[in-house]
Amino acid sequence: MNEAGFTAVLPGLFKNAYGAGKTTTLRILTTLLPMDSGTATVAGFDVTRQPNQVRSRIGYVSQLGGADELATGRENLLLQGRLYGASRAQAAPRADALAGLLDLAGFADRRVSTYSGGQRRRLDIALGIVHEPAVLFLDEPSTGLDPQSRANLWDHIRALRERGTTVFLTTHYLQEADVLCDRLMIMDGGQVVAEGTPRALKQQVAGDSILISLKQGDQGTGRAVPVLRQESYVRELTVEDGQVRLYVEDGGTALPQLIRLLDKAGVAVRSMSMSEPTLDDVFLRETGRSLRDAETPEAGPADRTGVAA
Amino acid sequence: MKAVRDIGLLYQRYITQLLRNPVWLIVGFSTPILYLALFTPLLKHLPGTASQPGGNVLDLFLPGILSLLAFASGMGPGFSTIFELKAGVIERFRVTPVSRFAILTGPILATMVMMFVFDAAVVAVGAGFGFSVHWLGLAVLAVLLGLVMTIMAAFSIATALAAKEISGFAAIVNGINLPVLLLAGILLPISLGPLWMRVLAHFNPLYYLVQASRVLAGGTLTGAAVWQAFAVLAPLCAVVLAWATSVFRKAVA
Repeated sequence: MNEAGFTAVLPGLFKNAYGAGKTTTLRILTTLLPMDSGTATVAGFDVTRQPNQVRSRIGYVSQLGGADELATGRENLLLQGRLYGASRAQAAPRADALAGLLDLAGFADRRVSTYSGGQRRRLDIALGIVHEPAVLFLDEPSTGLDPQSRANLWDHIRALRERGTTVFLTTHYLQEADVLCDRLMIMDGGQVVAEGTPRALKQQVAGDSILISLKQGDQGTGRAVPVLRQESYVRELTVEDGQVRLYVEDGGTALPQLIRLLDKAGVAVRSMSMSEPTLDDVFLRETGRSLRDAETPEAGPADRTGVAA
Repeated sequence: MKAVRDIGLLYQRYITQLLRNPVWLIVGFSTPILYLALFTPLLKHLPGTASQPGGNVLDLFLPGILSLLAFASGMGPGFSTIFELKAGVIERFRVTPVSRFAILTGPILATMVMMFVFDAAVVAVGAGFGFSVHWLGLAVLAVLLGLVMTIMAAFSIATALAAKEISGFAAIVNGINLPVLLLAGILLPISLGPLWMRVLAHFNPLYYLVQASRVLAGGTLTGAAVWQAFAVLAPLCAVVLAWATSVFRKAVA
């Protein structure tokens, strides 16, 4: 994770971790927990030996949030700014700017206890970036948010990323990891089981699947199947009720070829759709169980750690 | 210098939170006043107390109330620490470069200031009912009350960080409350007890405060009880603060 200013060598780190180890990892990287062994460098400083240099360069938003409920959003932002060393005169315009940036302006002078889940989470993030950190750590930022607030939060995270902040987030939502992250790490049982870009990880799995629906139903499939089987890039082929499902290495290249091929063979196509493998497929392959199973308490939580650089 | 600034910021934050909690304020003011109102009439007929020459029963009892207030006030930050641990506030502060000592002492200082306000109310009410006020003695007593409150607060915060749950912490607090209070002679003088009790009391830091508080409230500044209290409480305060600061370095929810 060098380009984002991270290096971490953490052997045997997660021996005592309860779940997959993602929150433990974050707490170590954010100087909250000591390391048993190994070293970690964040934003160019050693987490164990230079914790204060690390602290002034990172932001951290825990799952719990941590804003003062009896204070207003603005009061929270002002105090946080001053805790990072800003003077009263510097903290005020910064609080206003953050309220604008994260759409808090309309209720910044209300007490936090009156905020909705999405408003609160945006305030938490504003508190995490009050000192313009080089790296922002978000621990399950969208947990507990409704889909609309989640989409809104994603927009804000993307905007942060475009402004040059490295965002290090953990999530249980595969879609979130897919949409937001440039680099992805899958953790299971305290170990990193896979790492790479979401695209590279998905390509390691099965390739893309293409579903072709034919106008003449079973008669159509009968004519299409022999033609399709001859193509070398078709790995697997199944027929299901007037439809043909293919697995190919690269769906984007295969799709136009297939259209031309079927057209030439005189098979009328009703629709053709492609689906890429999901991160769930990746997770299944790496851990031997799907995420849904992995999230049941008996199996222990499993986690993804993403870096949106 | 930075630590002083950090303490100031966190002091301000905590006292603002306290003042925005009306229930806490009402209970904070009414509890010591209720003690005075409900307990004093009982003491009037206690042998050996009312018969003191020229003495009002409040001269004996009010310093005990102030000591009790110092002990009880110190428990408050422990409870709010558990709440703040659960709410992620402690973690939020710990990832900032703020001094760990400031995260601990900001709230303690705020609690102390509020305690002195309650103390002043108790003294004012007591004076109205015949408590004789010796200003210099009360000023020295304030220092001792501050020390005991700081010891209790640092202890309760560190215990709260270790217990992590409100139920466990409340059990510990309740468990130590009764023996510590009885062995301090706050409500009833320890001199009424048998020898073993009087010996045991010397291992209770609060005992020294209560003994000194009666001497100081009577206007005597130089009694043996006074220097003994300082000799026990000042080093203890330093030790407990150092311990609590080290617990704070590793506190996670």
